[in-house]
Amino acid sequence: MSEMNNERFEDLKDAYVLDALPEEERRIFEEFLAAHPERQAEIDELGAVAGLLAFSPEELEPTPELRYRIMEVVEAEAAPRHERRRSVLAGLADFIGARGLAFGAAALLLIGLLSWNLLLQGQIDDLQGQVRNSQSQVDDLQAQVRNAQAQQTQTVQLSGTWAHQGADAEVASISGNRIVLVADDLPSIPEGQTCQIWVIKGDVPEPSGLFQPGGTQTAARVTTPIKKGDTIAVTVEPAGGSEQPTTDPVLSAEL
Amino acid sequence: MADRGRQYLILADEDLISLVEASDSEAFATLYDRHSRAAFSLAYRMMGDRQAAEDLAQDAFLKVWRGAGSYRVERGSVRTWILSIVHNRGIDQLRSHASRRRTQERVEASAPRSQPSEAFTETWRNSQRDQVREALNTLPAEQLKILELAYFSGYTHVEISELLSLPLGTVKGRMRLGLKKIRNFFESRDAAVPR
Repeated sequence: MSEMNNERFEDLKDAYVLDALPEEERRIFEEFLAAHPERQAEIDELGAVAGLLAFSPEELEPTPELRYRIMEVVEAEAAPRHERRRSVLAGLADFIGARGLAFGAAALLLIGLLSWNLLLQGQIDDLQGQVRNSQSQVDDLQAQVRNAQAQQTQTVQLSGTWAHQGADAEVASISGNRIVLVADDLPSIPEGQTCQIWVIKGDVPEPSGLFQPGGTQTAARVTTPIKKGDTIAVTVEPAGGSEQPTTDPVLSAEL
Repeated sequence: MADRGRQYLILADEDLISLVEASDSEAFATLYDRHSRAAFSLAYRMMGDRQAAEDLAQDAFLKVWRGAGSYRVERGSVRTWILSIVHNRGIDQLRSHASRRRTQERVEASAPRSQPSEAFTETWRNSQRDQVREALNTLPAEQLKILELAYFSGYTHVEISELLSLPLGTVKGRMRLGLKKIRNFFESRDAAVPR
């Protein structure tokens, strides 16, 4: 085994990111890398390229039993962990639950417009107090909560042929620049087609995102900013989307 | 409509991981639903049968559940992180003695890109996947074969050189050229390598 140096590092780095070095060679490579941290970024970048191979296999659906088995373990482990960290979780659950109520109330009472749950304020304050002593990841959530305080949450219910067929869809503006279409029970569409979101300003439809209806629930980001008076619509288009709608909307709402 | 479930649906993966670290099982379930297909597909590609692939996917997702705190956003997306866990655990298993014989059989049965349609006929569901597919399609068969033997089957460069009766330098060279070609594919389109 030759000694590791820059030349040998260059020679082995591709095999390293592909996880194709024998044990001993890998160990020497990693010792060299630890001693030369300036080369870590180069390895991370190359590793990202190698990692793309993970996206290439033909897609297969795991069995529902796999989900059941995993969730059985997770739920069993969550209970004691939940107990240990109850102070953090309680606030978080309240936060999420209250936001859920806000969505429902907005849809029913205001037909989807301008719902800001003032009751959330006190719960968020509680959560912020609890999170203060928690871990850094939870601190990130705290920042989101503060952001949510500063912004209004709005929802609008979509109607149309798919709604008549049982689909339940809303557009939610979670913050000023984050608009999401969320829906339950959308019908499936033929292969080679996609759902396309449009924001119609005046008479001009702007392409505003693509999504595939999947499972019982679907979420897609609306890429065009919206304002009052705009119309939002969903059409079924050829895969890849269209520059202009080519079919009638299956869902729509005026904001 | 299940409002609580809906709230999880609109959270970003990074938010969900933070919740998982705080033992939120519903956040974990949302992550599972988003990424289980990709994870299982990779596991199946590596292990070669459904049962072994499900065992590997279960092992990997429980590691996600128990080790969410080790995720670092600066190292890549949550999806990439989950797939790297599947890959690393899969490599460990493939390198065990019991698995190696099975992999050997699969290697011997396969030929370089002799069935490209089998590998790529599935309709890919998002643009990232489309881009990766297109990038891999630009590789010469001999380069792709070596990348696949290393990445999916867990062979070291020395073992690949023995399997294919190629000089070790040739194997290294094809690895280098293959990865370079994938990176050039994205750079030529002014696109960042997905992470």
